[in-house]
Amino acid sequence: MKPVDLAKKLRRDAAFEAAALDRGKAELMAAIRQEGERRIRPTIVPQVPYANIGAALSFLERAFGFRELLSSRLEGANGVIHHANVEFGDGVIGIGTQGAHGAISPQSAGVASQYISVAVADVDAHYQRALAAGARIADEPHDESAGVRAYEALDLEGHRWRFLQGAREMPRYERRGRP
Amino acid sequence: MSPPSDAEVVGRSLAEPEAFGLIYDRHATTLLRFLGRRAGAGVAEGLVGELFRIAFERRKAFDGSRASALPWLYGIGANLLLKHRRTEARRLRASARIAASLEVPDRRAGAAALDARLLFPRVADAIEALPDDERETLLLFAWEDLPYQSIAEALELPIGTVRSRLSRARARLRELLEPKGKDRVRSR
Repeated sequence: MKPVDLAKKLRRDAAFEAAALDRGKAELMAAIRQEGERRIRPTIVPQVPYANIGAALSFLERAFGFRELLSSRLEGANGVIHHANVEFGDGVIGIGTQGAHGAISPQSAGVASQYISVAVADVDAHYQRALAAGARIADEPHDESAGVRAYEALDLEGHRWRFLQGAREMPRYERRGRP
Repeated sequence: MSPPSDAEVVGRSLAEPEAFGLIYDRHATTLLRFLGRRAGAGVAEGLVGELFRIAFERRKAFDGSRASALPWLYGIGANLLLKHRRTEARRLRASARIAASLEVPDRRAGAAALDARLLFPRVADAIEALPDDERETLLLFAWEDLPYQSIAEALELPIGTVRSRLSRARARLRELLEPKGKDRVRSR
């Protein structure tokens, strides 16, 4: 007898309860609903304009670890992305088309009028990732006061991002309340 | 219009998570049987929901160029079974006793190695003693009847590696049937 046939003879089917498949499905659907409940809508969402949103999304994921919230992507009929959202930690940033809402990419404006500050757990590991993905470093990792360590990088279109660890928590006037 | 492929359904579920329920409806029976053959009804019933929950959580990583999600699901199932190795081993030994009792003695084959009462427990031990990766490959092939390409997708291996693992597993089992293998198979 061939070895595989021998192994085959040890195959034995189990007898299942009729409800087994329903219970499994219920477990899956609960996980699906739970994901739905994790949906977020922060009160403030900074909108960052780009000339090429597709390239920007791929860079932001590779270099900085931002993940696109795929279900909220707005796409034109020709496959051009008009707007997308990316999340990182508990923050969300809108990735918009330059020109819309009067916002211009630094690539066209020649200058950035703001930077965005992002808290990370390990700023040096984040720096290595950004470096490997070809981010231009505007400020090398360095220690600042009160245990803060930070670096700054420019993305493909010259938006400036500051990454830091050890940032102090901010006391709030309002807890949890939404206007 | 033909029904959407698994890849299309998984793709759609990125924006519309509920769509993933269809993947369960299509494949849960197959996976439940797979888990049951390996670890018995009790463990399988507990694992099938977890398997699809993990698949749902990892759906972004599903390779959309594959029309069927089945090999990918088998791969997730195989990983889950690693946590239940002891139950799997017990079930395999019990199956060996049943297989031995069902076997009709074959006189032409001679007394050498084919006494079923001795042979099947040794086959079970030999399968048990295979490294995890070879055992998984052998059982996906022999029990699930998966083609090489699907095994490769399930275990995320090049197809050549599937072939070589399978041939190593076969060689180890073949030793059982040959006189020199009569004395000792690794016992546990």
